[in-house]
Amino acid sequence: MLYREAGQFKSSYGADQAVFPIAQDRWFIAAAAVFAFVVVPLIADDYWLQAILIPLLVYALAALGLNVLTGYAGQLSLGTGGFMAVGAYMSYKITTAFPELNIIVVFLFSGLFSAAVGIVFGLPSLRIKGFYLAVATLAAQFFLIWLFNKVGWFYNYNPSGTIDAPPRAMLGVLITGAEAQPEVKYLTALSLLSVFALLTKNLVRSSVGRAWMAIRDMDIAAEIIGIRPLRTKLLAFAISSFICGVAGAELFALHFGSVETLAFDINLSFLILFMVIIGGLGSILGSILGAAFMVLMPIALTNLFVGGLGMQAVTAKHTEFMVFGGLIIFFLIVEPHGLARLWQIAKEKLRLWPFPY
Amino acid sequence: MSQPQKKIGDTLLKVEDISLSFGGVKAISGVSFEIKEQEILAIIGPNGAGKSSMLNVINGFYHPQEGTITYKGEARHQMRPHNAAKQGIARTFQNIALFKGMSTLDNIMTGRLLKMRRNFLWQALYWGPALKEELAHRERVEQIIDFLEIQAIRKTQVGRLPYGLQKRVELGRALAAEPDLLLLDEPMAGMNVEEKEDMCRFVLDVNDEFGTTIALIEHDMGVVMDISDRVVVLDYGRKIADGSPDEVRGNKNVIDAYLGVSHD
Ligand SMILES: Nc1ncnc2c1ncn2[C@@H]1O[C@H](COP(=O)(O)OP(=O)(O)O)[C@@H](O)[C@H]1O
Ligand SMILES: [Mg+2]
Repeated sequence: MLYREAGQFKSSYGADQAVFPIAQDRWFIAAAAVFAFVVVPLIADDYWLQAILIPLLVYALAALGLNVLTGYAGQLSLGTGGFMAVGAYMSYKITTAFPELNIIVVFLFSGLFSAAVGIVFGLPSLRIKGFYLAVATLAAQFFLIWLFNKVGWFYNYNPSGTIDAPPRAMLGVLITGAEAQPEVKYLTALSLLSVFALLTKNLVRSSVGRAWMAIRDMDIAAEIIGIRPLRTKLLAFAISSFICGVAGAELFALHFGSVETLAFDINLSFLILFMVIIGGLGSILGSILGAAFMVLMPIALTNLFVGGLGMQAVTAKHTEFMVFGGLIIFFLIVEPHGLARLWQIAKEKLRLWPFPY
Repeated sequence: MSQPQKKIGDTLLKVEDISLSFGGVKAISGVSFEIKEQEILAIIGPNGAGKSSMLNVINGFYHPQEGTITYKGEARHQMRPHNAAKQGIARTFQNIALFKGMSTLDNIMTGRLLKMRRNFLWQALYWGPALKEELAHRERVEQIIDFLEIQAIRKTQVGRLPYGLQKRVELGRALAAEPDLLLLDEPMAGMNVEEKEDMCRFVLDVNDEFGTTIALIEHDMGVVMDISDRVVVLDYGRKIADGSPDEVRGNKNVIDAYLGVSHD
């Protein structure tokens, strides 16, 4: 495939402002969409769908949410797991209280609750930055998990302390519950991710997104241009938590089916943060690449170490941790824009091919 | 180059008896001066004289302990950055304060932020009124890009640009707000002769074509004499002279301050 920007002249700013201004990009995206929406459900088996692809899509959505806050608005958060828990528990409360309500609508309402919680815990961001803000969001993480553990109302006083996704159908097709087909769950997660990725892409290339990045890059100058820091940051917290809330609801209802708070503990916050760092801070594509990497890499490594090199499973697991640690350090120090940037460099090389100068 | 028949108007901004201190350090002591509409006012003085602090007071980034600021006829004790921006005060910084991770285009687009009305829900759709608005502003920004002759770096991340170009982009970002009062903090510092000439031309053109009032801090006396209508001289936080470039050049206090004659 020849990947060329040369020769494609834009006759209007409208054409230049399109999501994918380069024709080959549009083809690539179209091909990827056909593959993800049509080919994958046909060829992937239940194991791949349930154990790998559905969580991949859900994590990608959460990473997208965190990237809005951390990558674009520059506000470091360790509360992702907590905000996702709000989405999960509220979706459970809503769908058990209103069984007739469309499950997608339930997801979106759960997102609204999560957004409200995000705004509250975003308030300190006016006064504190960086490391201190991260600690404040960490407090949100622990508080929310404690709350959902402690207050029986959130899990309908279920003696086991778990919440279980009831069967819910849309247009006669089961989407959640044990009976729902993995293909349906997969397509639901994929559709939500696609829609949110597009909406977020639009936001970050509009004035809201520019205000976020301005606050991130130079808050003093941003303020002097007329950007209101608190309002801008809180909007980032709200939208980020909304997306994370929907992802939390999906993680509960589409992936696990039955969860307790443990599923949303601090490890989840870190996992999503690593996805954003490895994928690329401030990149929509990076959020998805990061999630894919973090989900697929351990499987590939296990296959290589255990299957290929005959290593013991435990040793393989340890090696895996070391590889991850190394990669995170690599991306933090050498390439803070992550996989998305590497992808872009590859494209730039291709773009000039075959004349490198 | 300054044209005597230029239509300098009424007072746009008046600062009276401004005093500002940081802890024990007095940065500004009882300084008063005016900026008239359409004028180019140069603020000069040795390092640490309080020039940057004065600009910070004017656009509300620093809050003076004493004094009054009268802008467009409205007197207040202090400005707020957001209100200053809303009422048409834009500025550049001594140490460039660009949004380093963003492209030239996005930096300048950000300068138009206060003029953009659509809320985030429309923007998420990037459609209809939101798209129309975005394109209209893009067109204005492209005019600024043409004016400053930075077409080639439109899509370049500004953190990767050389210093002189960064200064130019920062001017573009300030111009994007279509300000009534433009504050430039050492716009030509660290530039070579050619870059300085370009910057002088831009400043004069902005003043001429858009009728923008400009207050600028500058060390290069040649530049100051060439482009300013009036000069205010600060030294140790006090105003020691105020007048036409020629008057100021002959002022004894000014000569002393620049020669470093001791103060008592
Ligand atoms: N934010 C600040 N905190 C403490 N002192 C400051 C601050 N800003 C300026 N000053 C002090 O105020 C005085 C004037 O500084 P400044 O306005 O930057 O001078 P100039 O721009 O004329 O070189 C200096 O003594 C400086 O150290
Ligand atoms: Mg200064």
